[in-house]
Amino acid sequence: MVTSIKDDMFTGEAIADPYSYYGKIRDEDPVYWNELYELWVVTKHHDLVWMTRHHELFSSEFWQRDKRSPYPAIDESDQGLYQYMKEFFMDWFIQHDRPVHTDQRMVVHKWFNPKSMEMWRPMVQQVIRDMLDEADQNGKMDVMRDFATPLPLFIIAQMMGMPFQDRKFIRSMAEKLLFIGRGEADRMQPLVDGIDELKDYLSPMVAMHMDLPTDEDNLLSVLARGEKNGVLTRDEVVADAILLLLAGHETTINLICNGTLAFIQHPEQWDLLKEDSFESPNAVVRATEECLRYDPPVKSIQRVASEDVEFGGKLMKEGDRIRWFISSANRDPEKHENPDVFDISRWPNTHVGFGSGIHHCLGATLARLEAQEAFKALSERYDKIELDAEDFEYQPSITFRSLKTLPVSLS
Amino acid sequence: MAKLRITVDHNICVGNAMCETFAPKVFVLNEDRQSEAVAPEADTEANILEAAENCPVSAITVVDEETGETLFP
Repeated sequence: MVTSIKDDMFTGEAIADPYSYYGKIRDEDPVYWNELYELWVVTKHHDLVWMTRHHELFSSEFWQRDKRSPYPAIDESDQGLYQYMKEFFMDWFIQHDRPVHTDQRMVVHKWFNPKSMEMWRPMVQQVIRDMLDEADQNGKMDVMRDFATPLPLFIIAQMMGMPFQDRKFIRSMAEKLLFIGRGEADRMQPLVDGIDELKDYLSPMVAMHMDLPTDEDNLLSVLARGEKNGVLTRDEVVADAILLLLAGHETTINLICNGTLAFIQHPEQWDLLKEDSFESPNAVVRATEECLRYDPPVKSIQRVASEDVEFGGKLMKEGDRIRWFISSANRDPEKHENPDVFDISRWPNTHVGFGSGIHHCLGATLARLEAQEAFKALSERYDKIELDAEDFEYQPSITFRSLKTLPVSLS
Repeated sequence: MAKLRITVDHNICVGNAMCETFAPKVFVLNEDRQSEAVAPEADTEANILEAAENCPVSAITVVDEETGETLFP
């Protein structure tokens, strides 16, 4: 098929506006073979849901099974670092298929269920109040630096029993790990540095949590119990701790920032949020789901074909790598009416911001809770939030939709 | 043992299949890979409630058929 699609996913245009870039692929060739990266690109809502729910055909053991060279290319001298990085990521529980995945997810699944998460709501509300009280003294803040980052970081660190003063250090390590979604040829070194430093930080902490009594449980001791029960190795406990620490805040940061920006750009939706005249569910719940649909924190996730499979009119060969795009599926006109319109009244909102199937985001309830409380507090406190900059820029990542900063003035 | 009426809201169910893990005789995925409560009597009330509680998107409702009382959520 002849198309006008450009294969470089890291151009300024594709990073600034992924909706046009991936929307074009969805319109022209929805299951697209990207020759440059040797990668299937899946863009339609229906295909994404079907794929994620047929986990027996599309493996999550990406780092284990992908035999091709990294995309985009990396410096030739960094092949050893690449191998090291792959071996680390293979230990993440999300990098497994059934039955291993189910056993490993079960170690932490109950911790994150809706009933358990509800107990954290008062603390989330308190942290938000404190942060906004501080912002009020200046009448302005960088939503990224002063609100969206410290809030989820505080909560996940609290869950994992980490000392308060470590949060800045944790964030700087996490920022190195985010190179996983980047395209620079020399991205391996910071990535591997981040892995090593987080391992050094977390290993003694995991050891300390091995024998914590059940009534003092936190997320680390729950994870450590997976080793005692023979489900996880020590390396896997440490790797999963890093995963939960990272995933437990990075995504929510983007949800809060992207959502706040959407409200700044759509003042009439901000007014709707403040009015809250919806029938159940209320405006804050609807708004959070629409933010997850309209400008989702995670752009794409990878799989590998477990066998030869016909999919969307194409033949995928065993071992082919695949990337499915939430940013495109959430704007699929076959699923959502007026998909490019930010409209918090949509209900039900069947976005795929958290994926679908057996790998549906473990922390979805926590992300929802934090974002709901954040949008609620902002809308109750401020009549108007205005952008305090000429323009805004995104991190050059194909995994995360991350603003670099979001300075605003509050009134 | 109380007779239970179990429903799964297919507007919400994402096919996470945790209900199937907690109560495999009761919950089975259909061809869309969404959960169906096929045999409400096939497991204990405790296991069924645990399955409902661990649904990550709260798609499962459990009602006591005789008293009409909602047991979950």
